[in-house]
Amino acid sequence: MSCTVHIPSPLRSYTAGAHRVPADGATLEEVLASLEGRFTGIRFRIVDEQSHIRPHIRFYVNAREAQELCAPVGAGDAVHVICALTGG
Amino acid sequence: MALSANERARYRRHLSLPEIGPAGQQRLKNTRVLVVGTGGLGCPAALYLAAAGIGTLGLVDFDRVELSNLQRQVLFGTEDLGQLKVEVARERLLALNPDIEVLVHALTLRADNVCEVIEDYDIVLDGSDRLSTRYLINDACVLLGRPLVTAAIHRFEGQAMTYIPGLGPCYRCLFPQIEEGAVASCAEAGVLGVLPGVLGTLQANEAIKIAAGIGAPLVGRLLSYDALELRFTELPISRRDDCLVCGEHPDITAPRDIGPVCDSATLTARRLSAIGLRDLLASAGPPLVLIDVREPREFAAEHLQGARNIPLRELESRLAECAGHGDPVFLCRSGRRSLLACAIALRGGIAAPGHLEGGLLAWAAEVDADFEVASD
Repeated sequence: MSCTVHIPSPLRSYTAGAHRVPADGATLEEVLASLEGRFTGIRFRIVDEQSHIRPHIRFYVNAREAQELCAPVGAGDAVHVICALTGG
Repeated sequence: MALSANERARYRRHLSLPEIGPAGQQRLKNTRVLVVGTGGLGCPAALYLAAAGIGTLGLVDFDRVELSNLQRQVLFGTEDLGQLKVEVARERLLALNPDIEVLVHALTLRADNVCEVIEDYDIVLDGSDRLSTRYLINDACVLLGRPLVTAAIHRFEGQAMTYIPGLGPCYRCLFPQIEEGAVASCAEAGVLGVLPGVLGTLQANEAIKIAAGIGAPLVGRLLSYDALELRFTELPISRRDDCLVCGEHPDITAPRDIGPVCDSATLTARRLSAIGLRDLLASAGPPLVLIDVREPREFAAEHLQGARNIPLRELESRLAECAGHGDPVFLCRSGRRSLLACAIALRGGIAAPGHLEGGLLAWAAEVDADFEVASD
């Protein structure tokens, strides 16, 4: 199943500047694996060594927050990865 | 004090709005707003708050005006280089509106002074540029019961949200813990000059609404703005029962200074000062494996002799190239990317990666003043 992942500004260096990229997977974990397959290293910027979502990252699936990587993702869904920004 | 004839003339367009009118304008005059950071966000926010007739503005910043500020920090001019930002800002704001009061706090907010500063104000705007300061301000506003309008920017993206005591989530509900260094600052990553103008103006708008008691504040919602696509996205934020500061059983009952999070990399990575690295390079010990994780463009500008370039985004797939006759020492501009590189190396099985604390900026400052560190 293909969804669209909205990439936050701090992680666009991994996607050659792309704001939105397609990804496959029925869960957020699978979507992340799909992203990692194309953009090596991006997963580790989103989850830590224990596969916990990093504390400065939030996930939304169709504008509803998803707090676990097992959260389901459907075909055509919009996945937003929100990253804390620091600049002022 | 009631509005003077001069003030009634100045604020005529506000007085014509039924939602504000004389009573609302009087409320703005009676309101005290603290703007933390007179940078990209704080400058436009303070300008509009002063123009709108917020009676007392407080400005917090310890920095002085630098040439690189002028691309976006619209309160300052070339003639102000080297001056304290808050002093220049005060002068500009009073020139715009002499009927208001502008108070300056040329200091760094810390756990031991943040409440003392904030408690004199009704509303706080956060335009700071450090995660640790954001948490400090959030915690103080929750503890003191002050509304907080926060915004942050990065390259072409901005975020904003508003906290109102008792009404919705705080910043810690959105991002519970700190991970300083995980997100680049504007100094490291760059920022479109007009971007903080948009976000800072939104912050001023929120503060004016709260002061006048009108509209629906940005509570329980994160507003994300993408300047390149000119797209606003709104996402819901829920209050967390387990929030460390506004939850059911808060762990934070007084502001506290927060250092960088102790993740595996910060605990295990070998941290080299610029002087320490210089001495190691000059010693007769085994050669260091210097890996520069900046972008090729930055590397091409100037790099340390013997260093290899593996951009951070490629490190995971090229980790085998780091293996040599010693453990790698990662280098970058400021020490942020090199610390992430250590975490990646540790995860990849390299036992003792090291990194240059403070990055090549520290090298240029402490070892080689002629070393030119490219912006990233």
